[in-house]
Amino acid sequence: MNKIRFMIALLMAKLAVIALKITRHNGTNFPGIVALKICPSFIRYVAKPEKMIAVSGTNGKTTVSNLLNDSLKAAKINVLNNSLGSNINTGIATALIHGVSIFNKEKYEMGVFEVDERSAPRIFPYMTFDYMIITNLSRDSIMRNAHPEYIASLLEKYLPKKTKLILNADDLLSCRLAKDNERVYFGIAELPNDKKESRNLINDIRSCPICHHELSYEYVRYSNIGKAYCRHCGFKAPKYDYMIASVDYDNKLVHFKGLKGESDYRLLNDSIFNIYNELILLTTLCELGYSLSEIAKLLENIDIVKSRFNKTIVNDIEVVMLLAKDRNAYACSRVFEYIATLPKDKEIILMMNNLSDSKHWSENVCWLYDCDFELLNRDDIKHIIATGPREKDYRLRFKMADIHDDKISSCHNELDTPSLLKLKKGSAIYILYGTDSINEALKVKEKIVKRIKEEAR
Amino acid sequence: MIIEVLYPANANLYGELANIRYLAKCVKDLKIISTSLNDEPSFISEKVDLVYMGTMTESAQELIIEKLSHYKEAIKKAIANGQHFLITGNALEVFGKYIIDEDKKIEGLGIFAFHTQRAMMKRYNSLYLGNYEDIKIVGFKSQFTVSYYDDPSIQPLFNTLKGVGFNKEETKEGIKDHNFMATYVIGPLLILNPLFTQKLLDSLNVPYTLALKDDIMANYEERLKEYSDEATGFYY
Repeated sequence: MNKIRFMIALLMAKLAVIALKITRHNGTNFPGIVALKICPSFIRYVAKPEKMIAVSGTNGKTTVSNLLNDSLKAAKINVLNNSLGSNINTGIATALIHGVSIFNKEKYEMGVFEVDERSAPRIFPYMTFDYMIITNLSRDSIMRNAHPEYIASLLEKYLPKKTKLILNADDLLSCRLAKDNERVYFGIAELPNDKKESRNLINDIRSCPICHHELSYEYVRYSNIGKAYCRHCGFKAPKYDYMIASVDYDNKLVHFKGLKGESDYRLLNDSIFNIYNELILLTTLCELGYSLSEIAKLLENIDIVKSRFNKTIVNDIEVVMLLAKDRNAYACSRVFEYIATLPKDKEIILMMNNLSDSKHWSENVCWLYDCDFELLNRDDIKHIIATGPREKDYRLRFKMADIHDDKISSCHNELDTPSLLKLKKGSAIYILYGTDSINEALKVKEKIVKRIKEEAR
Repeated sequence: MIIEVLYPANANLYGELANIRYLAKCVKDLKIISTSLNDEPSFISEKVDLVYMGTMTESAQELIIEKLSHYKEAIKKAIANGQHFLITGNALEVFGKYIIDEDKKIEGLGIFAFHTQRAMMKRYNSLYLGNYEDIKIVGFKSQFTVSYYDDPSIQPLFNTLKGVGFNKEETKEGIKDHNFMATYVIGPLLILNPLFTQKLLDSLNVPYTLALKDDIMANYEERLKEYSDEATGFYY
């Protein structure tokens, strides 16, 4: 009965794929929705590639999945992935439908799937991955994710025991998951800008998991990311199996050490979170059996997609669009830290405005008080503009961070922000946009560029 | 003035420690004691004006119940003697009789006669509008749990006008006993509710200035108007 139901589901889903192609609606989860509606166990029965890799975690999973897909394609591997759909069960079902013939014959050698960490209960009982990469676990949207320990508990509960884990030893929240599973750890050795104490508002693992005394760090980068140990009971973070031992920023190289030896590789991007993403790529390729020299070749034409960082220079003023996930204090703090490392005087427009939320309720602003707005209280940040329905909340939050009133502007409509800018030559304008405000951010950028050009005439 | 923050390393979700950072802006020379899991709480043996504890993870909650269980009688005595407490989010559940989570029963301190039902797959999020004495309270709720008063004579902290009360059928919200105040409302409660903060600081009988008063009042009034509007959705 189940088999018949599955075959009907596959047939209907394949028809849905054809219908979507005819109507030019590619990239939706509709086939997966149809399949799961007809056969809730569809994911269990559909044929899968021989080697399966899941990429999950709070931050970096899209970048890591893309890097891995691109590298494996460069290695001439026929890879199935869900990059065109979503990372929940319907998106994964849709990708799997694309991967099989109407007779359920698999067409791909390998599958790389980005998996939403909250979807574990709807995916892991039905499919077993050979490898699961967990980039990190951190605070995200309060409404959707509650707290990272909750996400860890979901993964812990549903992860198949046969899956080998690729874990971040610098993140005690994720690296202590599923202790019975086989695993390897990756991490980054001490870097010049590392600290001895975390200064971020969010630090979700401050107490030793064994004796509950305060944890210390050999080095810490941000929040709880670093090499932790306990002075009291001797607890230590796991040793690295794979590591970036050093970063040569001038020559754009990372020095990688793994279970098979060590080698220098091209630094794909100099932000610390992308160095972690590159390390995960190197680790996974080693685990898949590629040699260090083969990996060097695979990396030759690989790049980190720059859609989240878009810079234009007009009349000696930089206009930069930067994704800062709304409702995600942790991710926004990373963006603020990154901006702080960049040269030039800056004006910042904050438009992480949860536009979809504001249509049906009033945004929960708790995350503003988890987010390190204090990092924006710097001499080289000359002007900050808040906008959108919560402009007053932002203004208040800036003042809680002791940012002087003279530096703060606000307006309700995002499209009015360009007229508030001071536009000093030699400075940089940062437009921080949220996941649902990219179109508005593009319009704002266009208006800024137009104003700079007009004033230059 | 001395504030003791219980377990800030473990009870710090949803930006709630901003409540203390805000009080530090209102009260000159505020002394903050940050108590760790292995420390004895200071208010047990020393004068502390306000004890604060905020939202925590479920595992931290069990640990904190275990740690505080050694001081249960002292806490009861402190409440009876008028010690001020402000307890937010699921920190409230620490003081109840027990928490049921599927097949598991977690004993609470049993200081107040209520119990909690936890369902980790049934999280809910809502806005909150309620009354405290003659003022309105605005805020947020985000929780896996609901609680039930087992003794009808328990005094709530707030009375709910919109949003979820102590549970989905109950309009009473939180616990008020002498100067013990506990609510499920999460986040920067004192920043969002300047009138409540004023009442709290008045009751502590310390000199203070309401910091960022103009901004905080403008924000409160706008949010109050928004939450009172029938068109505003209350559930996420």
